[in-house]
Amino acid sequence: MRSWPSSRWMSSPGHTNPNPPGRPLTASLYVHVPFCVLKCAYCDFHSAPISDEPGMADHFAWAVGEGASHWAALGALDDVASIYIGGGTPTTLGPSLVSLVESVQRGARLVSDAEITVETNPDTTDPALAGRLIGSGVTRFSLGVQSFDDAVLRILGRCHTATSARRAVDALLDTGARVSVDLMCGIPGQTLDSWTASVEAALASGVGHVSVYPLTLEEGTPLAIAARVGEFDAPDDDLAADMMQAACELLGAGGLQRYEVASYARPGEESTHNSGYWTGRPYVGIGPSAASMLPAALFEAAIACEAWSDPGVAGVGKTLDSVPPGTSRVRFLRSADTTAFLRKPVGPPEEVEFLTPAQAAAEDAMLGLRLAEGITEELAERAGGTEILGTLEARGLVEHVAGRWRVTETGWLLGNEVFEAVWHAGTRRGLA
Amino acid sequence: MSQATHIRNFSIIAHIDHGKSTLADRVLELTHTVADRDMVEQVLDSMDIERERGITIKAQAVRVLYQADDGQTYQLNLIDTPGHVDFTYEVSRSLQACEGVLLVVDAAQGVEAQTVANAMMAMNAGLEIIPLINKIDLPAADPERVRHEIEEGLAIPADNAVLASGKTGEGVREALESVIALVPPPEGESDKPLKALIFDSYFDTYRGVVALVRVIDGRVSKGMKIRMMANNTVTDVEEVGVRRPANLPVESLEFGEVGYLITGLKDPALVKVGDTVTLAKHGATEPLPGYREVKPMVFTGLFPIDGDQYPDLRDALDRLQLNDPALIYEPESSHALGFGFRVGFLGLLHMEVVKERLEREFDLDLLATAPSVEYHVYTTAGEEVVVHSPQDMPEAGVIERVEEPYLRATVLVPPDYVGAVMELSESRRATFKDMQYLSATTVEMHYDIPLSELIMDFFDQLKSRTRGYASLDYEYIGYRTSKLVKLDILLAGKVVDALSFIVHRDKAYQRGRVLTEKLREIIPRQMFEVPIQAAIGGKVLARETVRAKRKDVLAKCYGGDITRKRKLLEKQKKGKKRMKNVGNVEVPQDAFMAILKVDE
Ligand SMILES: Nc1nc2c(ncn2[C@@H]2O[C@H](COP(=O)(O)OP(=O)(O)OP(=O)(O)O)[C@@H](O)[C@H]2O)c(=O)[nH]1
Ligand code: SF4
Ligand SMILES: [Mg+2]
Repeated sequence: MRSWPSSRWMSSPGHTNPNPPGRPLTASLYVHVPFCVLKCAYCDFHSAPISDEPGMADHFAWAVGEGASHWAALGALDDVASIYIGGGTPTTLGPSLVSLVESVQRGARLVSDAEITVETNPDTTDPALAGRLIGSGVTRFSLGVQSFDDAVLRILGRCHTATSARRAVDALLDTGARVSVDLMCGIPGQTLDSWTASVEAALASGVGHVSVYPLTLEEGTPLAIAARVGEFDAPDDDLAADMMQAACELLGAGGLQRYEVASYARPGEESTHNSGYWTGRPYVGIGPSAASMLPAALFEAAIACEAWSDPGVAGVGKTLDSVPPGTSRVRFLRSADTTAFLRKPVGPPEEVEFLTPAQAAAEDAMLGLRLAEGITEELAERAGGTEILGTLEARGLVEHVAGRWRVTETGWLLGNEVFEAVWHAGTRRGLA
Repeated sequence: MSQATHIRNFSIIAHIDHGKSTLADRVLELTHTVADRDMVEQVLDSMDIERERGITIKAQAVRVLYQADDGQTYQLNLIDTPGHVDFTYEVSRSLQACEGVLLVVDAAQGVEAQTVANAMMAMNAGLEIIPLINKIDLPAADPERVRHEIEEGLAIPADNAVLASGKTGEGVREALESVIALVPPPEGESDKPLKALIFDSYFDTYRGVVALVRVIDGRVSKGMKIRMMANNTVTDVEEVGVRRPANLPVESLEFGEVGYLITGLKDPALVKVGDTVTLAKHGATEPLPGYREVKPMVFTGLFPIDGDQYPDLRDALDRLQLNDPALIYEPESSHALGFGFRVGFLGLLHMEVVKERLEREFDLDLLATAPSVEYHVYTTAGEEVVVHSPQDMPEAGVIERVEEPYLRATVLVPPDYVGAVMELSESRRATFKDMQYLSATTVEMHYDIPLSELIMDFFDQLKSRTRGYASLDYEYIGYRTSKLVKLDILLAGKVVDALSFIVHRDKAYQRGRVLTEKLREIIPRQMFEVPIQAAIGGKVLARETVRAKRKDVLAKCYGGDITRKRKLLEKQKKGKKRMKNVGNVEVPQDAFMAILKVDE
């Protein structure tokens, strides 16, 4: 194995700790591993087959560690509630994934019951690797199954079968970790029966967490092209709605309660990481195309780092020298270019968005409504959303119970209507 | 500067797409008017919308200096005109600034409807007509046949017709030599007081109104005090210049010359196309004849999607009218759409172009209702009511009779397609008048047809049923009584005034049915079920339903990329904003035009 000339990469001094006053910042950490065995027919996520260049997986793990040290040095990882290694398919890294998991934890201080999730797919789930991951601190696996129907899996262009999915679930549960499976409905060619059978199979497998997503045909994907040229009918919205309702009933009866628009869990198995996104918890993203969201002060500290001002690195970061006044949080995205990330794990982002307190509140309200518990009256008010929520209540999309606003059964299916209305109401006010 | 003997003013006229603008390109190249690096195809078509559609909409005047075979340099003021029937008015205005025309005829297509119409106009204006058979490089070119068509069909001698190709440049020099030999130099008198015709104008954000003029007598120069004769407004000349094709300031324009002038006037209403410019003191007493007012043929409602843009729309119309004197408008209000304008156009293309220019050049988001014509309604009380908009139609009970405008349509078509034209015309309530052979290959057919039928997709149908061979020209002939009724469209139980239309009684049921079906496809699913009904005076003829929307959820949200998700939501929101909220129903713009696409 080739080793990487570390001296070339380690030159990122000049970190200053902004030393946030009081309690350390509670944050989540997301790592994006942009590799998959093969690209699925519907996928427009950032993923590509891993190159067989020797040492690639190690190099990637090392780069992620570099990214983590950078943020740790800035104090962003002093109180980490959850880590999520997603993708792509992180398990394509093989044994290097173990060192990745270890290295991201190195500079970080984790809360006592921190959740560490690794995303995986049936075809790359290896029991031995799973065991080693548990040894390195992983507490949870999220398995992309999508369907337990081989015909449907073929349409999706997934490279596994229902049988290998079952085997993978068993292997992961055997490690003692919590396991979640992803299922997808509204797929062309999928019947209601096929769907309920998949939901039941997921329940029967004994997992404590299921995510349910309707398929969206993303432009440019082979599946969308096939639908457009008429190879099969576009997904039927009514049928997809029936499927989502059926899932809700079946999973509920099986003891998995819906706690978020797309997530069902046995009590206690809700995903900390997932909930973090909907409750405004800051997060650090590492890897190509990874998104981060941080308080303005932390972002400002990062701008000051030498690694961010390297003129050789593309990104908007180098042209930024301060955060606009009145910014409460910053969301930013690294470039999707894997080679660039490997060459320079720490560097300026490619896209940055500065959110004012009003925008941040509107976003928190919009995202909080994804949760079954909804949002408090106080947040609704702060986000300028009380009036629109009243309107949505009259239309039967949300309800106002015990001091909270939350989405109704009908509202779940029409989530976009709700989210868009709340975001719009809040930001319009923010601009005025 | 130039002696009038060395000036030639001419227009290039033709049927649409026969290659006028391309020919103008070659002239600009030959005379080194436009630098090579600035040269693009149809360089005079400078508006985005002209470039995208590949057609000329505005006539463009340009001056070139041409060194002729006799060794002398001539000043040529050429005007490239549009060929589409909707813009005939541009051609007629251009002709008044000229002494001659190059009548371009496509060597493969031959004489078509606007070839005839434009040639007639030039003849009536007493201009020298030089026929030019163009595109001779085409494999299908048949110059002999076309020469014959020009002589037989137009009674224009074509023995010496120029054979040219705008593509290869062949014949372009010959064309200019013919212009110099045949088109007379402008007549006029330098000692007389200034008299100049405003034949076009446009609004420049920095300079105000820019008037394009042809000087008839005298001269105009910078700093002069001039008077607009129509409204006696006196102003200073801030700049005079020529179009090459960009504005190039010069000291003065002498009689016979074509150019532009910029005055201190910023108010579009004060600089009227067709007006005469003279000296403030001791000026001419008699204005030039000017232009006949054009009568708009079709009317539509234009409404800002965002009601706040109403005043902006008014300003934009004022300014655009300067550049497009054929445009007329008056305020209109609709229950469904709020405040807007009822705008009169020369035809459907004119309508599309105006809407697009308003949106682009003035940054507006507009919604147009289906075009209608001007109906004359006679009530039982003996009154005459002029109806431009279906919503103004009086109650059926008080109507004694309704008259609608008729056109005399001229269709030129190869003999093989005569049957197809007959069939289409019959289905559109047209009455056949006569037909004659222009040549062995072209038949000229005449019909009387209601304008309201012509604007319903007639031209597209004509083209598709004759494989593109037919060409169409028309002129207004008067009003005739018809059995017309107003058909209402109801969305969610309420009449949407902006969707109502007037239709012949015998066709009401069928159009109502097809339109409701069409609307069901166009109107997206909403939060609730939306019934769509077509009705006459409360009697429902057809009904369809848009089912309620049940599902609208985002897919998986990966790794906190909420910005992207939000952008998707915003995009969705923007899509909705392009729709008009009509009593809680989101109605896309297409819905208001659906009636035009009702194929039978
Ligand atoms: N082969 C060939 N094509 C030509 C020639 N002249 C023009 N064309 C093509 O014919 C089409 C129409 O040309 P234009 O110059 O835009 O025609 P136009 O008469 O100005 O059209 P309007 O202004 O819209 O009436 C274009 O696609 C040209 O490329 C020619 O001499 N030979
Ligand atoms: S496994 Fe997931 S990330 Fe990888 S290609 Fe399939 S859908 Fe895309
Ligand atoms: Mg042209």
